[in-house]
Amino acid sequence: MVAVLLSLSVAVGANAQSSASAASAEYLIKAGFIYNFAQLVQWPSAAFSQADSPIVIGILGTDPFGTSIDRVVENKKLDGRNLIVKRLRWSKDLKDLTECNILFISSSEKEHVADVINMVKWLPILTIGETPGFAARGGIINLTLEDNKVRFEVNIGAAKQANLNISSRLLALAKIVPQGADGRKSE
Amino acid sequence: MNLQSLSIKRKLMLITMLTSSVALILSSVSFLIYDLMSFRRQLSQDLMTQAEIIGFNSGAAMAFKDETAATATLSALKAKDDIVAAALYSPEGKVFAHYFQAGKSLPSMLPSGSQKNFYRFDGGYLQVFQQVTMNGERVGTLYLLSDMRQWNIRVKRYTGIIVIVVLLCSSLALLLSSRLQKLISKPILHLEDTMRMVSSNKNYEVRATRFYGDEIGRLIDGFNTMLSEIQLRDSALQRANNELQTSTHELEVEIIHRKRTQDELLTAKQAAEQANRAKSAFLANMSHELRTPLNAIIGYSEMLEEEVQDTEKISNVRDLQKIQAAGKHLLALINDVLDLSKIEAGKMQLHIESFDIAEMIEEMATTLKPAIAKNANTFHLQIPENIGAMGGDATKVRQILLNLLSNACKFTDHGTVSLDVDRLTTASQDWIRFRVSDTGIGISAEQQENLFQEFTQADISISRKYGGTGLGLAISHRFVQLMKGRISVESAPGQGSVFTVHLPVQAAGEQIETLPSAQTTSSEVSSEAKPGAETILVIDDDMAVRDLMSRSLTKLGFRVVAAAGGEEGLRLAKQLRPLVITLDVIMPDWDGWTVLNKLKADSELAAIPVIMVTIVDNEAMGRDLGASSYLIKPVDRERLVTLIEKHRAMRFSTATKAGVPPATWPSKTQKSSKKPELVGPRRH
Repeated sequence: MVAVLLSLSVAVGANAQSSASAASAEYLIKAGFIYNFAQLVQWPSAAFSQADSPIVIGILGTDPFGTSIDRVVENKKLDGRNLIVKRLRWSKDLKDLTECNILFISSSEKEHVADVINMVKWLPILTIGETPGFAARGGIINLTLEDNKVRFEVNIGAAKQANLNISSRLLALAKIVPQGADGRKSE
Repeated sequence: MNLQSLSIKRKLMLITMLTSSVALILSSVSFLIYDLMSFRRQLSQDLMTQAEIIGFNSGAAMAFKDETAATATLSALKAKDDIVAAALYSPEGKVFAHYFQAGKSLPSMLPSGSQKNFYRFDGGYLQVFQQVTMNGERVGTLYLLSDMRQWNIRVKRYTGIIVIVVLLCSSLALLLSSRLQKLISKPILHLEDTMRMVSSNKNYEVRATRFYGDEIGRLIDGFNTMLSEIQLRDSALQRANNELQTSTHELEVEIIHRKRTQDELLTAKQAAEQANRAKSAFLANMSHELRTPLNAIIGYSEMLEEEVQDTEKISNVRDLQKIQAAGKHLLALINDVLDLSKIEAGKMQLHIESFDIAEMIEEMATTLKPAIAKNANTFHLQIPENIGAMGGDATKVRQILLNLLSNACKFTDHGTVSLDVDRLTTASQDWIRFRVSDTGIGISAEQQENLFQEFTQADISISRKYGGTGLGLAISHRFVQLMKGRISVESAPGQGSVFTVHLPVQAAGEQIETLPSAQTTSSEVSSEAKPGAETILVIDDDMAVRDLMSRSLTKLGFRVVAAAGGEEGLRLAKQLRPLVITLDVIMPDWDGWTVLNKLKADSELAAIPVIMVTIVDNEAMGRDLGASSYLIKPVDRERLVTLIEKHRAMRFSTATKAGVPPATWPSKTQKSSKKPELVGPRRH
């Protein structure tokens, strides 16, 4: 856990102390965004084995959130479902990976982005990334930073492919990214 | 202008207008208020809905902290003119996004307590607070500010509409009420017109027209009924007035007629009175004229009788006595007629004096003797000793009694004639009562009725049998009335008669000095008048009178000096200083009054008693001028002698006893008793 924190701090900021707090603020927002996305996306009923099956949020790669995402989803319910957070690793937890409902692909896993997308692109899994071109490459939502504000891009085709229904209210705020060239190019 | 004094027209219109306007305004205003209230509520509901939509739309933007998106959402409000400002506040209360029209500002911080959805009106603005949620989670608050432009516009428009509607309706109401008020005002105005017409023209034939069957119609009916009633009464009054006028006119005519009749009557009355006066004057004159020759006849026959008696020629004496009796009867008749004419002419006067009743009756009884003796009657006289004196006209009392007594004698044969005198007192007055009763033929009840009226005798046959003028009782009756006494009769045929006379002890009237007063004056004279003591001066222009007086008085022992006129008489009186002067009134030079005046004016002659002997019947004047006695021609010799004797006796009683005793006095009475018919018996 310390290592994850450290890597995050290394990756994001130059000043360890200040960047750590800045990073934690950024990821607190992003944790909120993830929760908001869960609210505005409809999963097909097949995605859940039971009516009260929890919505599983998987975080692949180095966890940038710390405990903030746990705090955000703690005690929250969406359509009678709890939210649980799972931390996953590439190649080890592949089975768990496919059982997530929301999959956040940390920037530490940017090399495996294409593989992950290919693996889950037909499954009703909302993929969220934070690497540039993530959506264009077949990811559904990509979180970006603009003027130090967190924004997001949506690939509607990918969402349809995954059989996910994204609320128009979400789409109204999103930057719509077409499916295609960028993704293939990057692959 | 005073509201109450408005005409009924205006009042009705005013009422209608006021009522309808107030109702209209009230309903319009209440509708307006209701509409504006609901419109405001609707506005606020709309705004709330709008806020809800905007809040929903901006929920995601708020959740993702997307200012741009939120601002863009708010910018959509530009289309709404009335929303002047809008803002999104973060859950912490900070402005997240905003929008406003020019000149408007926003509260920078969310007002506290705005954690719910609500709206409020504040200073003409509507504020709405709307919670922005994301799946039930509050992500912020939306604030909207509206200036309620539509509402204000609506208020203005509605107010205008209402004003217009009210104006329109009012004019319509005015139009309608000005037409419809006639329903009520027209009959009333008509009624008023009719009333004015009636009261100003006094024409009660006018009738008000009845328009409708309502209360006013009934009022008009009542008014018409009243008018008919008034008209009826008016015409009745008019009729009555006409009748009154007619009858007044008739009355006037009647009055004029009566007045004329009255005038005629008055004229006739005056003529009658004139005639009556002429008759009375003629009678009086004739009586006087008759008396003058009678004077001579009686006087000379008496003289002759006395002279013949001395020559013992008895047959001549009887003839002379018959002449004398006839003359005296004639004289009595003339006296009665004269008295009556005087009474009728209202010239009969009372000579009131105080006299001794017993003395007067004694004197009268003497005169009566022959009448009593004639039918062999007995005379009873009953007088209380203390009867005393009474005040009255002695001459007339004597005449009354003589009348009654001689009547009693006349109608009684071999019976009794009585005179009772007594004094009685009633409640108011003292009376002397004379009762003359007889045992004669009596008077029937029918006869009694007219007993005291002139020219009426009990029976025509009576006048033939008993003779007389029928005036005696009438004259007595008048005398009694003059003296305020009364006379009554009780009688039945064959039962005799009782005549009762009541006379007041003191009769009303002027009390005249009585004879005794002459006594006192004569006492003064007596001493100095001695030389002419036996002389009697006769002043008379009638030679027969002078002659007769001289003869008869000489016989009685007096020395008689006669004067044919006043002047001569006065001279002789001064010369002779006689015992008594007899004085005539009507004389050619000086009349008797003048002579009497001169006599009384002369201090030397004033004491000589003057006996007026005249035809003029004015005793009151003679008394006033100082005459001591008053005799009316033809002179009753006996009375004259009595008077002269009285004066002589008075002189003797006061002076020395000298002179001739009254030797002839008894023989006088003897002679008169032989000729009872000649003395005043009168019939009634």
